[in-house]
Amino acid sequence: MWQVYFKELTELMRDKKTLIFVILLPIFIFPVIFGVMGLVLSSTTNKAMQEEHRYVLVNAELAPQFADALFYHKNFKQIASDKSTEAELVAAIRNDEIDVAIIIPADFADKRSSAEQAQWQIIYNQSSQFDFMYRYFSELLTSFNEQLQRETLTKLNVDQAKLAAIIKPVDVKKVDTADKRENIGEKFGAVIAYILIPLCLLGASYPAIDMGAGEKERGTLETLLICPISRVSIVLGKFLTVLTTGLVGALITVGSFGIWGAIIGSFAGMAVVQEAMSAIAITELVLIFSLLLPISAVFAALLLAISIYARTFKEAQNYISPLTIMIFLPLVAAMMPGVELNSKTALVPIMNVALAIKELIKGTADYMMLALIFGSTLLLAAVAIGFCVHWFQQEKVLFR
Amino acid sequence: MIEIQDLAKAFALSKNNKLSDTEKQDVRYSKDAFHSVRNVSFSCGSGEVLGLLGPNGAGKTTTLRMLSTALKPDAGSVLLNGVDVLKQPVKARQQIGFLSADTGLYGKLTAYENIAYFGRLHGMRETQLKQRIDELFTLLNMHDFANRRADNMSTGMKQKTAIARAVVHSPKVVILDEPTTGLDIMTVQTVLDFIKGLKAAGTPVIFSTHHLDEVASLCDRVVVIDKGISAFSGDIHQFKALSNNADLREAFLSVLKGQVITQQQGAA
Repeated sequence: MWQVYFKELTELMRDKKTLIFVILLPIFIFPVIFGVMGLVLSSTTNKAMQEEHRYVLVNAELAPQFADALFYHKNFKQIASDKSTEAELVAAIRNDEIDVAIIIPADFADKRSSAEQAQWQIIYNQSSQFDFMYRYFSELLTSFNEQLQRETLTKLNVDQAKLAAIIKPVDVKKVDTADKRENIGEKFGAVIAYILIPLCLLGASYPAIDMGAGEKERGTLETLLICPISRVSIVLGKFLTVLTTGLVGALITVGSFGIWGAIIGSFAGMAVVQEAMSAIAITELVLIFSLLLPISAVFAALLLAISIYARTFKEAQNYISPLTIMIFLPLVAAMMPGVELNSKTALVPIMNVALAIKELIKGTADYMMLALIFGSTLLLAAVAIGFCVHWFQQEKVLFR
Repeated sequence: MIEIQDLAKAFALSKNNKLSDTEKQDVRYSKDAFHSVRNVSFSCGSGEVLGLLGPNGAGKTTTLRMLSTALKPDAGSVLLNGVDVLKQPVKARQQIGFLSADTGLYGKLTAYENIAYFGRLHGMRETQLKQRIDELFTLLNMHDFANRRADNMSTGMKQKTAIARAVVHSPKVVILDEPTTGLDIMTVQTVLDFIKGLKAAGTPVIFSTHHLDEVASLCDRVVVIDKGISAFSGDIHQFKALSNNADLREAFLSVLKGQVITQQQGAA
């Protein structure tokens, strides 16, 4: 078995594709995710926040304080226009002449004096990814509303000291019990698992294909089968090699995740991420790796079984593609809001590992639950290996 | 000594598989199986070279695979120096040197590493292995490409490496599946000389080939397999006699045409 293992490992070490998938990809995927995507997201957000919105305010003279506030706001630019109806303004937005139009009704002053509520209209394209414009508008309108309330109440001789309580009888002060790490873990923990687990599969895929279907295609399998070692030893040697590459890939990925998370957080304007990352202890990274171990064994056994069944490298790739898609289903489920780690989800393969990784990153992992996940995944791995060994002894599989 | 008696092997056909008209005419096809080898018997003694002949798809490779323990026969027996390959496959494998029709080398390993790997799988010790590989490199003139990876080798180099790999453990029985196919004249000569060397050392050699000149110059015995049965099995003289010593091609064709229908077991 060890002869097979060391020989397979030697061949893999000399293979460029394996080096790319097992070593380079895990090393560089996190800088790409944390760095490039983080930078793109932050630059897009900044751009959206600083964007200037061209506007038309119809009947501005009826609300001069609001008109002034809008005029002097850095994100709004007034456009001179004689358009005043809804249809005209919608057309102007569609023709990209303006970005937003606010219509103050002509009877606004009358409604105010008769203490009736007025309804303004804001017209704009709401399909934008970041709706900062409406947020700015709401802030101005809230302030304007408050101003009008104060004026009205002052006219009614209400005590100035009590104005704040009358205008806003209830105020809320938020006290967040989640620390920054828990917040970050909740938001990004599942995403990290979403990257780590497929990388374990990806790292093991190519070697598995090469050691099963590849051997068939090259004609080396037949020669190997007539050596005086048992087929169990052959398959276990191959399995251990696939597992090793999957785990090396996972180890590099976890290491890369820890190191790059801390480094990039500092210079990409993601100090919160850096802080959260530095709070994750080595023990937790080791536990993440420990959870990846049995799931990698499951992947290794399944990939090898599929690969041994296939006649050619290409056929094996075709069989493995659906497996790759299938593992994303439990991963996506683990990312769903409200999906928590409990005694039921702890028994759903892949999903349980993803949820456990999320809990570990949040720093809220229940160690009994982790043991349950480790045990159940290990059991699954044993079944998968057993199947692979059985499969490898079938003539109809080996000589299809 | 290799003794094969009434060997048979069938492969299940897929339920969706529809037989073509030609296949329906072929006696080897039944409703749910393809009887690749139906009844093959022959023997090969120490120091004998047996040429296994037959048209493409006749069942030669399946026969050799059963001999080499890669496939389990459905019926019949194979004895290698008295070891039953069905009952003691691991012990039988220790005695076999097998060269498949593909050179079957690991592309990322050098010639030395390819051979050494199989030597180790046969339980050879490092010092013994090194000595044996050096001996084979000299015999097959391989020193120049000992450290070249198989991916970068010519066809001839690959075949020499594959032969060295097949015999690294000094097997008591050697089985070669079309060892000279696609090789240049010089390499063919090296391979043939190597087989002669094995013969001289008393090793029984079975090799399948389509080259009748090789059969004429090397073989002591000939077996012709056609449609899964050994249509002829006898010594080279008996085979030549089929064409009145004219040429082997004629003898071979006469077997295939059914002019020779009895198995020459008496001469085996």
